[in-house]
Amino acid sequence: MNQHTFKRFEDELNLLKSKTVSMGGLVEKAVRRSMKALMNYDQKRATKVIERDRAINALEVEIDEMTRSLLALRQPAASDLRLVIATIKIVTDLERCGDLAEGIAEYALKVHEHPHAHMDSLEVLSDRVLQQVKSALDAFTYDDVNAALQTIENDKRINKQYKAIERENLTYMLEDPRYISSGMMVAAISKNLERIGDHAVNISEMVIYKVKGHDVRHVDHATAERLVSGELDAE
Amino acid sequence: MKTKKNKLTVRNLKLWYGESEALHGIDLDIVSGKVTSLIGPSGCGKSTFLRCFNRMNDRIPNCRVEGEVLLEGHDIYAPDVDVVQLRSHVGMVFQKPNPFPKSIYENIAYAPRIHGMVDDGDDMDELVETALKRASIWDEVKDKLQQPGTALSGGQQQRLCIARTIAVQPDVILMDEPCSALDPIATAKIEELMDELKEDYTIVIVTHNMQQAARASDYTAYFYLGDLIEYGETQKVFTTPRDQRTEDYITGRFG
Ligand SMILES: Nc1ncnc2c1ncn2[C@@H]1O[C@H](COP(=O)(O)OP(=O)(O)OP(=O)(O)O)[C@@H](O)[C@H]1O
Ligand SMILES: [Mg+2]
Repeated sequence: MNQHTFKRFEDELNLLKSKTVSMGGLVEKAVRRSMKALMNYDQKRATKVIERDRAINALEVEIDEMTRSLLALRQPAASDLRLVIATIKIVTDLERCGDLAEGIAEYALKVHEHPHAHMDSLEVLSDRVLQQVKSALDAFTYDDVNAALQTIENDKRINKQYKAIERENLTYMLEDPRYISSGMMVAAISKNLERIGDHAVNISEMVIYKVKGHDVRHVDHATAERLVSGELDAE
Repeated sequence: MKTKKNKLTVRNLKLWYGESEALHGIDLDIVSGKVTSLIGPSGCGKSTFLRCFNRMNDRIPNCRVEGEVLLEGHDIYAPDVDVVQLRSHVGMVFQKPNPFPKSIYENIAYAPRIHGMVDDGDDMDELVETALKRASIWDEVKDKLQQPGTALSGGQQQRLCIARTIAVQPDVILMDEPCSALDPIATAKIEELMDELKEDYTIVIVTHNMQQAARASDYTAYFYLGDLIEYGETQKVFTTPRDQRTEDYITGRFG
């Protein structure tokens, strides 16, 4: 693509994207560290995650301000417009992911109250969810629609696993009432992880919109693929 | 989907100024009752193309046209076409407001009288009033119809010229950068007017103002170096253009 004739506009768009990517990096870190704090009963690390959420929120505000001024002052069109629109949405998803990670960190602060919690399956789920967040962010960074499509498709596996954890958790709680409070915690954390996965899907959908201009939010995978390949015309 | 009717159909239109080919075979349909904007960098042939619709190029020496321009299916370049008649069907508004050096009333009445549409008197008064009202300038001039049209402000003059154009009840109104000499308020009035007029007229506008094309037109055609690069619904062209050259132009990446 050619450079913008107006260099400063070009710089602003690049900055918008790089800020969003770094916000994504912070969020990914927050999710990873909140889970690590949880699994290691590490209160110090948990506290840090909670504190750092402020930085994520501040970036959200900053990026929102940038998109507002870009819209008002530059009147972006075509791919520039789609980048701005996608960014507005992605930033909201990232901010929610940050909150969800913070929620996990809050549980990490109290996890010592549940020494017998069954948390192995949470670790497996969180690995997958982290992979999803990472691939959604990579897709955004590199305008990679195939990676975005793959991320959307992979979410089905996460939902399945989340359901499995719910069932497993329920059996523990039914078998032994002492597991009820830790079971409630595991249920809440797995719910948070599953929702982070959903946000990764939203981000991927916005990547497809940004790159291709197609809204794939409410179509099935096969249709999304055909839209993206240009086999199907959006109408 | 609503069926689209084409007011104008252009097929393989080529145009030469002397030896130099300015339009390289354009195919385009202008949809009836809509505003179509022609955009593109300076010298790409927008005005040349626009002038083909009412044979304004005929006046230019050494200018030669090949291909077809059909107005409701009739070839406007056919030998038996009366060009004066054609121009009453396809009116034009220019970049610089160009009222006649006559009264406001006469500016409107002049052409209908020549075309023998109505006689002077009550009928003409009515026609003048209707045209001025249609062009949203009646309230501003109704008390000074005998004053010269040239004494109006630029924006008022431009609306007077639009009134003059619609007074002969054309099918199509061509506008070549009609707002480039106007302030944002006068511009907004013209855009508003286009929106109202398209109920009865088909409008084709050349504009350098991308926001204007985006705001005011239903369809957009992007020209580059005498070729039509992309044509489609304005909303599509401005959010997801198909061609990289269109993308570069509307996002301000002039290579
Ligand atoms: N009367 C003329 N005689 C010779 N060449 C002409 C004439 N009018 C236009 N041209 C040439 O034809 C090409 C297209 O010109 P045209 O005026 O249609 O461009 P345009 O897109 O309307 O540009 P602008 O945005 O500057 O008004 C240009 O290369 C121009 O130099
Ligand atoms: Mg021109």
